Amino acid sequence: MTQQSPETWLNDHGDLLYRYALLRVRSETTAEDLVQETLLAGFLSWDKFTEKSSVSTWLVGILKHKIVDHFRKHRHEVKQVQADELADDILAYQFDSEGHWQVDLVEWDTPDTQMDQKQFSKVFKLCISRLPQRMADLLFLRAIENVPMAECCDLLGFESDNQLWVTLSRTRVKLRQCLNTHWFEQG
Amino acid sequence: MRHCKQIVDLVSQGMESKLPWSIRMEVKMHLLMCKNCYRYAKQLKFMQSELKTIENNIADTALTETAKKRIQQSLKLAIHETSND
Repeated sequence: MTQQSPETWLNDHGDLLYRYALLRVRSETTAEDLVQETLLAGFLSWDKFTEKSSVSTWLVGILKHKIVDHFRKHRHEVKQVQADELADDILAYQFDSEGHWQVDLVEWDTPDTQMDQKQFSKVFKLCISRLPQRMADLLFLRAIENVPMAECCDLLGFESDNQLWVTLSRTRVKLRQCLNTHWFEQG
Repeated sequence: MRHCKQIVDLVSQGMESKLPWSIRMEVKMHLLMCKNCYRYAKQLKFMQSELKTIENNIADTALTETAKKRIQQSLKLAIHETSND
């Protein structure tokens, strides 16, 4: 196996790593730093690379660890649920007082062409960026990276598993609502 | 019997953790009978799978040339330092 240079990686996979990081940390400078740290870590641990995975998958794996580390260093100080995460606020207009849907959900026509997919992902990204920071962090750390519950609660400042579950559910309600309005109802 | 607002939370939680058998059955039954919750569950699954691959589909975000250069230089320096150790 030939030694590869981080400079080649930067050209080949830098943008992908950057997008991955930027979606999660929401700061261009931090995302750039994470890309740099990832490439360096990849270089230093190249002997651990096995050809079972592609280089880009392997680098994304390293980046994931770097991102969790980043959250450890900048853990959320706030120990209370933020006003804009408030459960009933988000749900109030979708459910009646007995907890039944007030609106009829329309079936989603999922994007089927590449063009559509690209446009859709743009809208999706916009909707993610509109989530309160901690909700977005929760979505990525718990739902995508599968960071264990205890660590998620600790990193994001949730007092109980239940508080985390409820907030995650509200996050999805919010995200669904945004996608529905900005993509699926646009026809 | 739980109402839709509670089912919505359970559907979300069930995507990340294994709910007790009896609750899973209740959610299943509810989804069979409730069109809105059924659609909601389906849409969450779709969102989840899109979220897992979104970085592959947003080509409009990329490192700037300045950032690339800066990273390249820092890497060179760091690698030079480690090879001197």
